[in-house]
Amino acid sequence: MDNYTNDNTARRYTANVSVLGTTQIHLRNPYIIAWWSMAFPGLGHLLLSKYIRGFLLFIWEFVVNLNAHINLAIIYSWQGDIDAAINVLDTRWLLVYTPVYFFSIWDAYRTTVDMNKIYILAEREEHRFNSFSISTLEINYLDKRNPLMAIVWSLFAPGLGQLYIHRVFTAFVGVGATIGVFYFSNFLEAVTLFIQGDIQQATPVLDPEWLLFLPSIYGFSVYDAYINTVENNKLFEKEQRRFLKGNYQNSNFRILKGKKVN
Amino acid sequence: MQLFATFDNNLYLEMAISTLEKNNIEKDNIYAIPLDNRKEPRKLFDTLHQSDGISLIDIGVALGTAFSVIGVSIGFKMAWGPIWIGLIGSFIGFFIGLGIRLFMNVLFQKRKSILKGKQVEVILIIDCAETQGELVENILWEHFCFGVAKIK
Repeated sequence: MDNYTNDNTARRYTANVSVLGTTQIHLRNPYIIAWWSMAFPGLGHLLLSKYIRGFLLFIWEFVVNLNAHINLAIIYSWQGDIDAAINVLDTRWLLVYTPVYFFSIWDAYRTTVDMNKIYILAEREEHRFNSFSISTLEINYLDKRNPLMAIVWSLFAPGLGQLYIHRVFTAFVGVGATIGVFYFSNFLEAVTLFIQGDIQQATPVLDPEWLLFLPSIYGFSVYDAYINTVENNKLFEKEQRRFLKGNYQNSNFRILKGKKVN
Repeated sequence: MQLFATFDNNLYLEMAISTLEKNNIEKDNIYAIPLDNRKEPRKLFDTLHQSDGISLIDIGVALGTAFSVIGVSIGFKMAWGPIWIGLIGSFIGFFIGLGIRLFMNVLFQKRKSILKGKQVEVILIIDCAETQGELVENILWEHFCFGVAKIK
């Protein structure tokens, strides 16, 4: 059940609240979105709420990166061992990596620029949108949440910040990726040894190829949770102001010019 | 009698209005004025109540991620290992990015005026009979208004 049945009379809409999440178009910096696609293909699209292509590129990155050994080559390159980097790359996979990688960056950038224009037009149109949704499985509504809590939860485990603000799909991707990367990189095992002060043992336990995915997943999850909490709060305010103006501004209301009493 | 109250844009405001209506205050006797608070200088730290679209942490998180990747890579060859070096890298990157953002903000902020105290977001005016004054005032206070004035 929704509080607004869309009759598709608007040319463009800024937001929609559905049981799977609050989706909105808002102004974004195209360079920042492109950067997240650079860090990990698909993340830029997930930030834009273009979930299907984002998820597709995200999975693609895991498959092709691991098979072509891109991450290992990155590690060797940063260590200055160029020969090892060249040797580790698998030419059976390597060439397909480049076009899709750059496509994801370019497409995220281009889409952001386009959607910023759409936002300006939709914002001027000020059409009503659905802001409350309840179904058998979920409830979603607009309200204010704390951006710092979103950061904190995403730092504990990527994806939790997204659950906090009801971005169910990104939470699914985030939590799924976290479980996979934690497991295959042996990260948690290494952290346990690390906390016990056994750094010499912690390093060889780690799988470098998988570990290199982790910073991007953490960084993205923190950024996505934070920025969307802030944007959801702004959307709540905007919607409430519209509601007040529409319902509580009777033209017959007269201000009483009396004296203040206690 | 009229009561003037100031509120934040939050769900308590709607609960206050709804409770007033339950207590037989007519909808037409409630007047709400959302205030525009946008002329203030841009605030850096987004909070539950305030945000202006400038993201304090965007460059920080981006650089933190990048430096962490580099740190993890180099860390495999260093005595402290990839976790330490990766963590250190992410902190260095984050604070460099935060520094860049703060610097840009100082650079681009032309007018600086200091605003003290909390920003009020909505003014609510309720027209009611004198006998209801007390009741309305209590309802407003219970829903976390910032201040109330009764006019007679």
